[in-house]
This record gives sequence, structure tokens and C-alpha cells, in this order.
Amino acid sequence: MLKQTVALILLAFLPAIGEAIYYRHKVSWQSPVPPSETVTVDLARSWGDNAIWVDARPDNEFERDHVPGAIRLNEDRWNELLGPFLATWSPEKKIVVYCSTQSCNLAIEVARRLRNEAQIKDVFVLQGGWEEWLKKK
Amino acid sequence: MEKAGLSCTIVLVKTTIIAFTLSILLCVGARAGLTWEQTQIELHPAVGDKEAVGHFKYKNTGDRPVRIKSVRTSCGCTAAQSQKEAIAPGDTGEVTATFKIGDRTGTQVKGVTVETDDRVHSNIALVLKTVIAQPLEIQPVLVYWQTGEEPKAKSISVKAAKDFPVKEINITPVNQNFETKITKMGNGEFKIDIQPRDTARPIAAVFTLQADASPKKFTVGARVANLAPSKATAVQQ
Amino acid sequence: MNTVSTINYQLSTERPFVWRIVDLIIGGLFIYAGILKALDPMRFAVDIDNYKTVPWFIGVRLAFYLPWLEILCGLALITRKLYLGGLSILAALTSIFIMATVVAKARGLDITCGCFGHASKYLSFAGHLALDLAILAALLVSIFSARKPSEVLPRQSVLFR
Repeated sequence: MLKQTVALILLAFLPAIGEAIYYRHKVSWQSPVPPSETVTVDLARSWGDNAIWVDARPDNEFERDHVPGAIRLNEDRWNELLGPFLATWSPEKKIVVYCSTQSCNLAIEVARRLRNEAQIKDVFVLQGGWEEWLKKK
Repeated sequence: MEKAGLSCTIVLVKTTIIAFTLSILLCVGARAGLTWEQTQIELHPAVGDKEAVGHFKYKNTGDRPVRIKSVRTSCGCTAAQSQKEAIAPGDTGEVTATFKIGDRTGTQVKGVTVETDDRVHSNIALVLKTVIAQPLEIQPVLVYWQTGEEPKAKSISVKAAKDFPVKEINITPVNQNFETKITKMGNGEFKIDIQPRDTARPIAAVFTLQADASPKKFTVGARVANLAPSKATAVQQ
Repeated sequence: MNTVSTINYQLSTERPFVWRIVDLIIGGLFIYAGILKALDPMRFAVDIDNYKTVPWFIGVRLAFYLPWLEILCGLALITRKLYLGGLSILAALTSIFIMATVVAKARGLDITCGCFGHASKYLSFAGHLALDLAILAALLVSIFSARKPSEVLPRQSVLFR
């Protein structure tokens, strides 16, 4: 029985590895959000004026403190805040969306809506969020 | 040898049945403190509603009082509180979860965790699912041209949801840099053509879309932008 | 005269036909479940991540491997090749899954998916548990009724039965 168990365990690796190779570019191997859609604080900072920072947190958190120059865009007042964002945006800019931490979904949701509804391509979620930005300040 | 094998099988079957029964009892017994009418609520707020409220009702079916230590939510957009802190045996109460809809779309699933001093079931996970009716589907919400590009009209498609018959949509304000034209395609579909008068310099415009007399307003934008990475200042009209 | 020096197990060929039906049902169930998950490994990775028992980089690799293990074990049950190995792996997987579900529920995590991925999202927690325990019971009983001790010499024990 042990030999049979080992044989099955080893055999299963073959199609699994094949499928993993097929999906290798489409899957995020290190974190839940695909790497093509996230950016580190250091890289986002290196973009300088080419980056537009978008704060996806609720109004009261934005008012308390935010990345200097960041535009507020949250789902509480999406329609009201979308206008100022669209007026600032231009095609060569990279959008960096952040919320409290890596685990909060707000930035992921705002990024998703910008990609799907506005069809803006260069939209990234900041890895580690606002907390990571504060650490590296 | 075969008899030994058969009795082994019988013992195993009995053990599995006992384990099975015990786990069912555990699930049942686990609810002997607070029993919830529903742990998952699905809400369908009307268009224009600012909030969706779910009432998670419970009853203490145990023989000891239960104290609610905390009520936490998975998102700042949801507030939840318990009617009572201490629930005597036989008493009922509810946890009210209020989800702030804002401008959210689609189906929003938010969690509420209730922590109690019940030894068996100390953490209860409640789920508030809100299906937000979206009267209009607008795609895309942004049209843009590069400076120097031919100022051809670009279209925004507007589709009314099946349950929301829409007769007319209107777009405001009138903008001196962009021309807008609405075409009714039938079947609740509309096409908005936006055309810049010229693309010589960067300009931006933000429009508000509204269907009939619906309170809900939507934002769409039009932009003429430089592609050069240097600072491009847009003149918002 | 041959003297027996070891006792090995081999697949009993004298079991009632009802066990064949059980094999086909359970094997088919796991093949179906495995295919559903293999078709969308990213979604399965998110489901594994929801249990918060393993970090993402392990969970995503498991999401590619486990469905194929399920499919091969399901096929083992149906074809009777590597049969006992298939049964024991499936029993182990089902036990681990039941434990992870109970622990997640105790931690207050909202687990809406069962072993059939999002296809089973309409089952309640108790319903899920009952189904999984029934599958585990069938697997365990299958293993122990299938194993018939036979007095054979070591070189006669077979891998494939």
C-alpha cells in the first residue's frame, strides 16, 4: 500500500508541473495580488512625477494624513471624487493606489474599478499600503 | 484470520459512526449558547438608498447567560452593534449591521465577527451580502485623445439594467471644449459621442450622467493629454 | 514445503459487488472535484488562502498539485490500479480537509467553499461536514474491507492490483 501511495503522489507531480508551467506568467506565486498589478514603495517613489498617488481610504483617514500630493478616491464618494482624478490623470502617468495595509481590500477594489470602468492600464496597488509608506518615509 | 479482519472492520465502522454522531452533536451542541436565526443575510437595497441594514437575530437557548464581548466588522464601510451586552437564558436580541453603500457597485460581502464568552462558540462569523442595484452600466467612464491626434468622436456605451426601464439620459454641463451627442439605441441602450473641438492643447472635462429623474448620478470624463512624460498641465473647463 | 515468513496484504477479490458501486461513485466524485479545481487554480489558491493555515506561496503551489492528486486517486478507485494507495491518500486528504474546516469555523473565518470549490457554496456548514464525514467513512470502510491478509512470499506481493 505504501508503494502505491508513493507512486500516486509522485505521478501527480507530472500534470501539476505541466499546468504550473502553462500558468507561470498568469499566476502570482508570491502574493495574492498578481505582481504585474502591485508595486513596492521604493519603485513607486522612483517614478517621481510620473506617478499619481491615489488614496483609497475613507475621508477621515485621508484628512488625518496622506501621501503628499495624493488624490482621494474611495468608494464612499466614487462619483464625486472621480472627476478630480480624471482631470489630473494623463495616459503616461502610473497610478499607485494605496489603503491602510496590504490586507485591506479598498485599494484592490479602487484599482479594479479604474482598470475596468475607466480602462486605465497602468494601475498598481502599493505593497504594504500606507503603513509601508510610513515605514520608508 | 478472516474473522479477525471482519471484527476489525466492524470496530472501524462503529468508530466512524460514533465519530460522525459526535461531530453532528458538536455542531448542534455548539449552538446551545446563542442560536442565530440567520448567520448570512442578503440585502437588496433600492436605487438611491444610502445604507443597507441587516438584523441578525439571536436567542440564548442555553442555560447560562452569554455576554457579548465585542462586535467587529471586516470593513470600515460596515458598522455593527449588539442590542444587548448580556443575554440571559431564554432572552432574545439582535446584532444590527449597517453597510454604507456609498458609490459601491455589484455584490458586496462584508463580515461581522461577534465575540462572546460562550466557551463552545466564542466567535461567530456573520455575513452581510448586499446586492447593489446598478441602474446604468457605463463603459468606459473615460475617453481621451493625445494632443495632436485627430479630434474624432469617441463613444461611451450606456446600458440600463433589465429592472430599470430608462427613457432618457442626460449629460451635463455643456462644455465649450467638447461636443456631446446622445443616441438612443433602443432596448435600454444609449451611445454618447464625445468629440473635442481641437486637440492642440491639453484639456479636461468632467460630465455628470443622469437617467430620467433617478437620484443617482454618474461621472464620466473626457481628456486631451500630452503623452510626453514632462509635466502636462490640464486646463479644466 | 514452503514456510511463510511474512504476511502481506493484497486487494481482496471476494468483496461484494456493492463495493464496486461505492468505488465508482466516490472515484467519480473526486475526479469531478479535482477537475473543477484544476480548471481554475487561481481561484482554488484563494480558497486555500481563506483558511489561513498556510502562507500564500505554499497554498498556491498546493492549488496546482492537489487537484491532480485527487483526479489520479479517483481514477485509481475506478480502474482498480494503485487502488489501496488511492483510497489511503483520499482518506488522508478528506481528514485534513475536515480538520481545517472545523478549525476555520472555530476561528470565526467565513469559509463558503467546500471540497467542490464554489459549486458547493450553497451547502451550510453542517451540511458540508456531514457530506465530508460520510465520504471519509466510506473511504475508511473501503480500505479495511478491501485489505485481505494473505499468506504470500515477499516476492509474490504485487504493486499493481
